[in-house]
Parts: sequence; C-alpha cells; structure tokens
Amino acid sequence: MAWYVVRRFALAVPVLFGVSLLVFLWVRALPGGPAQGLLGERADPAAVEAVERQYGLDRPVYEQYGRYVGSLVRLEFGQSITSHQPVLSEIARRFPATAELTAAAMLFAVAAGVPLGVLAAKRRQTWVDQASLVGSLIGISIPIFFLALLLKYVFAVRLGWLPSIGRLDALLSLPHPTNLYTVDALLAGDWEAFADVLRHLLLPAIALGTIPLAIIARITRAAVLDVISEDYVRTARAKGIARRLVDRRHILRNALLPVSTVVGLQTGLLLSGAVLTETVFAWGGIGTWIYDAIRFRDYPVLQGGILFLAVLFLLVNLLVDLSYALIDPRVRYR
Amino acid sequence: MSLPEAEIGAVGTTGGRDPADVAPPTGLWKDALGRLRRDRSAMAGLAVIACFAFLAIAAPLIAPEPPSSRTYLERLEGACCPGPSAGHLFGLDDLGRDALSRVIYGARTSLLISVVSVAIGLGIGLVLGALAGYVGGAADAVVMRLVDIMLAIPALLFAIGLVAALGPGLVQLMVAVGVVNVPIFARLLRGSMLSVRESDYVSAARSLGLRPARILFVHVLPNALSPVIVAATLAMATAIVEVAGLGFLGLGNPDPSVPEWGSMLANTPRFLASAPHLALFPGIAIVLAVLGFNLIGDGLREALDPKFRR
Repeated sequence: MAWYVVRRFALAVPVLFGVSLLVFLWVRALPGGPAQGLLGERADPAAVEAVERQYGLDRPVYEQYGRYVGSLVRLEFGQSITSHQPVLSEIARRFPATAELTAAAMLFAVAAGVPLGVLAAKRRQTWVDQASLVGSLIGISIPIFFLALLLKYVFAVRLGWLPSIGRLDALLSLPHPTNLYTVDALLAGDWEAFADVLRHLLLPAIALGTIPLAIIARITRAAVLDVISEDYVRTARAKGIARRLVDRRHILRNALLPVSTVVGLQTGLLLSGAVLTETVFAWGGIGTWIYDAIRFRDYPVLQGGILFLAVLFLLVNLLVDLSYALIDPRVRYR
Repeated sequence: MSLPEAEIGAVGTTGGRDPADVAPPTGLWKDALGRLRRDRSAMAGLAVIACFAFLAIAAPLIAPEPPSSRTYLERLEGACCPGPSAGHLFGLDDLGRDALSRVIYGARTSLLISVVSVAIGLGIGLVLGALAGYVGGAADAVVMRLVDIMLAIPALLFAIGLVAALGPGLVQLMVAVGVVNVPIFARLLRGSMLSVRESDYVSAARSLGLRPARILFVHVLPNALSPVIVAATLAMATAIVEVAGLGFLGLGNPDPSVPEWGSMLANTPRFLASAPHLALFPGIAIVLAVLGFNLIGDGLREALDPKFRR
C-alpha cells in the first residue's frame, strides 16, 4: 500500500511539470502583457519596461521558465501583480472558501443522491423510479449558473428566505483563524454566526451540488440493482437476517464502490463549476480569483492558481483510488 | 458505412439460441437505428434538437424582429426591461431588443459553436487516439501523458484560459471548447481501439493476410467508433453548457448582432429582481437543448451496445 502511494505520487510529478509548462507558455500567449494589464493600454513605454524588469519579464522565455520552476520547488509562487500579496497567502485565504462550498455541495449531493438512488432501485419501474430518472436528467442538463440564478431569484429575491450573496452577514463579525466560516463560527462558539454562515452556504451548495446529485443517484441505483441480485444477498436473506441489516451490510456497502469513484471524479469537476457559482453568489473563493486574474493578466496568480487546482485535482483522484482499499478489502495495492 | 459480409454476421449473432427463431442478421448500424427508433425518450430528444435546428436554420423567417433591432421605450426609463407581452412574447432586454428573436437567433450561434467545437475536438482527439491506440509504443506514451496533463486542468478553467489567450470571437470560442474535448476523445478512442485490436475477428483478418490499412479502416475503426459516436453526442450537450458558461462569464461572442444563449444571461444578474424573464427564456433554451442531446446520447449508447439488446 505504502509503495503504491509512493509510486502514484511519482507518476504525478511529470504531469505536474507538464501542467506547469503548459500554464507558463499559455500565460505568455495572453495578448497584452501584465505590465499593460496593470498600467492600462495607453501606459508610458518606460513605465511598462520598468514593470517588466521588476518582474523579470524582460528575460528570455526559457530563463523565465527555469526561474519559475526553481521557485516552485521552493514553494514560492511569487506575488500578485494587482494586490501585491504573495500568491501562496492569497491561496491560503481564498481556498477555504472554495473548499467549504465544494464540500457543502458534495455533502448535499451524497446525502440526497444515495438515498434517492437506493429508493429508485428498490421501487424499480414504479413512479418513484421514473420521477427520479426524469429529475436526474433535468439535473444533469441544467447549467450551474442558470440554476444558481433561478435559486437566487426564488429564494433570495422573491421569498427573501436566504441571503443572495457573500458568506456572512455584513453586520456580524467573526474571527477567521481557518477561513472556513463554519469552523470559525464553531470555534468562536458563535451560534448566531454559524446559522448565518449555513444560510449563506445553502443556495450556492445546492446550485453546485445538483449535477453530482443527479449523477450519484443514477450510479447508486445501477449499483444497487447490480448487487441486489448477487448470491450473497440471497443467502443473507435466506439465513433470515433482518432486512434492514442486509440492506446496509450486504447491499449498500458493496454498492458504494462505484459511487465513491463518482464522488471523487465529481469533486474534481466541482472545482470548475465553482467559478460559475462563485460568480453568481459573489463568493470570494479561488474561482472568482482566477477569473479576475485573467481579466487583469495577473501572471503569478494565474500560474500559481491553476497549478494549485491541478495539484488538488490529482490529489483528489489519488485519494479516490486509495479509498477503494478501505471500502473493498479485495482491492490490494502493490 | 458498409461492412463486409462476415462481420455483419458476427455482429448480428444472438448467442446459443435455436437458429430457427433468430431473425436474419442485420448490420450493426441498421440494427442500432431500428432500436433507436423504438426508444421513446431518444426520439423525444431528437425532436427537441430537430426543433432547435429548424429554428437555427429558419431564424430570419421565424423571428419577429432582427436580433439587434431596438425598441425605444422612453416611458420605461429607469425600470428595466418590460416583461412578456403580446407584442414581445419573451419581453425586451436591457437594450430594448426582442428577447424571443434573440433566443431564436441564439439557437443558430449556440448550435453552430457546439457542432464545430465538437468536430474540432473529435478530429484532433481521433487522430491522437488512433495514433496512441494503433501505433502504440512511444506515440502512445507521449499522447497519453499529454492527455493526462490536459485532464489535470479543470475543463472550464482550461476553456477560459484558451479564450483569454486566443482573444474574443466566434472561431476562438469554437477552438477553445473544442480543444478542451480533445483529451476525452483521444483517451476513449485509444481504449476502444486497444480492445478491438486484440479481438478475434481482427486476429482472423490479420492471419488471412489483409493489409494493415484495410484492417484499420474496415475492421478496427468501425467497431471502435460506436463509443465515440455516443461520446460525441453527449459532448454536444457539454459543449452547449461550456459555451453558455463562457458567454455568461462575459467571454462569449463579442458581436451583439450574433446573440448566443450564454451571453444573453451575462447581464441578467443585475436585473434579476426587476426582470427575471431575461434569464428565464435563454436559460430554458439551454436546458432543453442540453436535455435533447443527453437523451439522444443515452439512447444511442443503448442502441449501439449489444449488451442492451432485448
């Protein structure tokens, strides 16, 4: 197992170098340099030159890449050209927002999707099954930003039940040791703030979680149907084990393997969806940050931010593979 | 596409049943088409897409107004965007343009971008996938590492990045969304070619001494293609969502006389309270088109996969 983990990490290294090269070259291909992005299109050429010299942009491209990789190895991501903050500290500040949103979305998707899939499988070819099929088809087909706008209109604008933007009411103050606002509120023991954070989290999480919810429901249904006709399930039933126990120990546990794969893959995809959700709900996470960085040609932010997301994506996939061993004892890695 | 006699027989085999009750063997595609026709939800999807295709082609004849003609309503100053009325079924947008006409013209742009971008992704992806799957060796290693790298970047961010690098425009959008699809098709075709290459009928063809090119084009490709066809249909759905997402983020087609569904939604958050209809209609159009392609894709998957045969 340990050897397998080491090997998987080793395999990820060339991919990361590829991503870093791709991102590096791509950033150089953006029209108008960072100096122009910073100083405006009609900037004084002398000022542009000064900025380029300051950030080493006047050096040959291969030299820039060499220095870039050297700094990556030292975990230096440079400084944002627009905010003058170190990229790493901005990631540390903004990533918890995206992580919190993604986790909440996935929690919603699993908490609703798995029971829905099990229900659809057990009531196969009834109206419950049909309704869940139609529902998940629509869920897969609705663009995140459109769903986000619909939810915002109905629950925030019309009904006024939930806040429409941000992560916390402006009137509430909260210390932010972790920047995961739910955790921050719990650490501070501030229940009012905690409830408010949850209220802010609800709509974006539903918007972001609907596609994985639909997919998880379908996969769970198929997996349960596969397992339900296995011999060991029939044997368990014949032995007279309580129905609920068979459902949980024999059926659900075995059906969860394909589901866990989907959860992992979808978690990676949610990082993409987070850009759109964060835009609609003015959620100060990594998605809006990178999007802004493209508009302002903030090279260091783009390089660091996208590389960070790629690392995260690879890490999530690795965790998914490893989780097989926990769920299915037959899977042993060498 | 015509298949040699022997292969048609192989595809049409139904297992160990009595030959007397087995229907005469039909070709893979004819058989699949027949099953697709009996699939009600796939047919519904096809109908939806046919409607959109009709709207797209006949837009100038159907749309009540040209997409960028404006209605000036001075008396409505301040309050944005009159909602649906008899004169404007979908209401007017923030610049006084007829939303119905723009949704109809939008079908044109959205479908065109999606079709071309899937074609781009398919074209490059197929070449890379065939190279990796059939040639193998170093080509396989290089292509697959490239695919890994491309898949490590979240798709929408990748597309955003490409649009940022290529600049705004219709063609740039198509290329951006197309390139994002490349690794998916490449990986799929590679896998499916690897499994077909090892199959008995390909070894049979090889031992009969057929030329490699003939084996590739007559035996391997047609059989490796069916998962690709399914994936291409489903990729149309994804492409529509991705194009709309880029449009929504303000990275869509910059020409206002060529409306696109996603771009139509870009301004709507500002007017959400006063004019929700601006978001509603283009949004519904996107959902329907995506649903249509998803239904067709699911239907094709079942029709082309012998396992689903009843």
